[in-house]
Amino acid sequence: MIRNTIIRNMTHLLKPVVLPALIGWALSPMSAFAVKPPPLSPEQRASIERGKAQFKSSCGFCHGDDGTGNRAPDLIRSVILNHDEDGNLLRPVIRNGRVDKGMPAFATLKDSDIADIVNFLHARAEAAEHSASVPGDYPIAKLLTGNAVAGKAYFNGAGGCAGCHSVTGDLAHIASKYAPVDLQQRMVYPAGQDRRTAKVTLPDGSIVEGQLRVADEFTIAVVDHDGWYRSWRRDTVKAEINDPLAGHRDLTAKYSNADLHNLFAYLATLK
Amino acid sequence: MDKLHMNRIITTIVLTAVFGAALAPRRVSAQGLDPTDLLKPARNTWPTYNGDYSGRRHSPLSQINQSNIQQLSLAWVLPLQSVVLKSTPLQVNGILYFTTPDNVWAADARNGRVIWHYFRESKGDHIGHRGVAMYKDWLYFETPDCHLISLEAKNGHVRWDIELADPKLGYFSTMAPLVVRDHVIAGVSGDVTDIPGFLTAIDPATGKVQWRWDTEPKPGEPGAETWPQGTDAASHGGGMTWMTGTYDPSVDLIYWGIGNPNPVLNGDIRKGDNLYTCSIVALNPNTGKLAWHFQPSPHDTHDWDAVQTPVLFDDEYNGVHRKLLAQASRNGYFFVLDRTTGEHILTSPFIPTNWAKGIDSRGEPIPNAEKEPKPDGVLVSPGSDGATNWMAPSFDPKSGLFFVSSRRIWSIFYMTADGKPEGWAGRDRNLWANSILEAIDYLTGKVRWQHELGDGEGVAGILTTDGGLLFTADNTDNLLALDPLTGKTLWHVPMNARMESSPLTYELDGRQYVLTLIGNVVYAWALPAGGRT
Repeated sequence: MIRNTIIRNMTHLLKPVVLPALIGWALSPMSAFAVKPPPLSPEQRASIERGKAQFKSSCGFCHGDDGTGNRAPDLIRSVILNHDEDGNLLRPVIRNGRVDKGMPAFATLKDSDIADIVNFLHARAEAAEHSASVPGDYPIAKLLTGNAVAGKAYFNGAGGCAGCHSVTGDLAHIASKYAPVDLQQRMVYPAGQDRRTAKVTLPDGSIVEGQLRVADEFTIAVVDHDGWYRSWRRDTVKAEINDPLAGHRDLTAKYSNADLHNLFAYLATLK
Repeated sequence: MDKLHMNRIITTIVLTAVFGAALAPRRVSAQGLDPTDLLKPARNTWPTYNGDYSGRRHSPLSQINQSNIQQLSLAWVLPLQSVVLKSTPLQVNGILYFTTPDNVWAADARNGRVIWHYFRESKGDHIGHRGVAMYKDWLYFETPDCHLISLEAKNGHVRWDIELADPKLGYFSTMAPLVVRDHVIAGVSGDVTDIPGFLTAIDPATGKVQWRWDTEPKPGEPGAETWPQGTDAASHGGGMTWMTGTYDPSVDLIYWGIGNPNPVLNGDIRKGDNLYTCSIVALNPNTGKLAWHFQPSPHDTHDWDAVQTPVLFDDEYNGVHRKLLAQASRNGYFFVLDRTTGEHILTSPFIPTNWAKGIDSRGEPIPNAEKEPKPDGVLVSPGSDGATNWMAPSFDPKSGLFFVSSRRIWSIFYMTADGKPEGWAGRDRNLWANSILEAIDYLTGKVRWQHELGDGEGVAGILTTDGGLLFTADNTDNLLALDPLTGKTLWHVPMNARMESSPLTYELDGRQYVLTLIGNVVYAWALPAGGRT
């Protein structure tokens, strides 16, 4: 349903959850992504990297190299990790083992090694907790599954893209302007600023044109060519609305998976 | 035991019950709410989240009606220093009780004056809050750190405070509990981490757990075969109980919508239908025992929880009396079931969708694996925010129309996880959405009329009344009263703030009030002088 961050004790890695940020989500009803933690310091990154290697060599055989479980349980989802603060719960287990459950003691690990492992596990849990997003640096290799030649044919043919766009005009170098995943999203629908315009015919026959600001069943409002906001009762004027994105909406339901990925592969060549 | 002895015992039990009930002092104060009053709510109250057990959000009040709607005006206004209000107030004996995360207010239903305000700061998810439940003189309030707190309704003092589930594992809560007899039925939220959901009944007096129904079956139980065997998938399978259910005293079953499975967007490690996630379940309110289930989204990979209100109504069809349950589900399909048996009656999409290959013999959509999230992106309707969501629907028994705040909504779904998926393991990116108020004929599943609400995702709930009125709001922040038979606009007020709640109505001193919570302001609407001329 709707998600948010959980209460996590990562005082060694993170600042506590900030309440105003949470209230901000509450105001944004439907798309509350978990707030990104503050960026890690170089020291923290280094500790996590050391912890990853240490975990793999000491723990990975049973718990999986990434801690998600193998012969022994998944640690990322574990109660102990989610209650741990600065290693207060994890450290004794690593140090002393759980002999009754078949986990040996790791008595020879240095305190700093254990601290690195703890930081690595918390970073893994943090990553899972924040996995509800498609990052802006999402790798293009994952997206490039289509055929650019077929995409070009779709652009000029069935997709009808060439009716409005030109790869040497408005779309020139488009693949250099946007991150790949943003380009794919904008290719289907470039949301953002309302690009609609309206031509409003007033009762005296005069015409006002401008950028559309409001168009509901009661009101029509535009910003005219002089920059003035003007509004009318909808039932007192005639309004023709031009939506340059109407074609994008119409096309949305028509893409096959192949069309989507072929067209993206083509646009990705427009460096 | 001989028969005579048996009869004597039975006689004793019956006499004790009859005279005990008659002689026992009425323990509910003048301002309290006896749970038997919930069986047939009076016209002057709104005593549960949905107003009554049926979930219809349809009021028999008609003082405000089509003939006088143009005279509707403000009776009072209560602005609050708060986040946006998403709750539905209770109104009992002239007092309103409503919430935001961490906050409960009691206010005078005649004029909006605040009587008391309870605040308890907590960590955890503060995404929204739906409201409280009431039993006798006590309120029940869930918190962002997943506690259930009982308050004295007269002054907001804490009676007891229990933890429903461990917030450090990712549990929180937003829902308004449901009181059935001597049970406070409470759900939990949280799908950022892979935790199992449950519904629980709490003793209203003591806070002790009476029963707990886990949304995933244990190994060997019926339904366990819909999860991989020998893995921890089911025990981390999600299935939250985000919203308030409904109750039918005539069959003594509660009906609850269950949330999506985890990991949310990647089903690779949870092959199978994943019962009872994305399901509608019927449970015995005394024991929590499952009577039947129906699954709107088998093996969901799009966050389409099935927690939308299971609305209860009866009909006579071909001379046969039927007790029905209907849900307009987040996945874009409208379902009608027999609520006694769970037997499927009708399945019909209410927006254009592209994710199902068809409908199976049980009436459940068959998910198309091609539309599951992929690393390179898949275009799907509806997007994860859903064809509808937590906004309350309404059902008008006279017209037989089911009203839902719906969206046409498209997203590209990405499965981003490398290695074992955990948490969400992906996300969709929204493309575009527009919203439509729809009236669905439950006999056919056909959409009788549509009223466009504008671009974007509508979040306003619906109230209908015997005054021939449907109250909701559009995406340009107009409060609307529509004709429920045609969808035609009868009245509107630009409010310039979002209604992210569902309206309610009640009558006091012979005057009908309609309450709308918009932004962080409560507006009470009524006719001048209560409509008296």
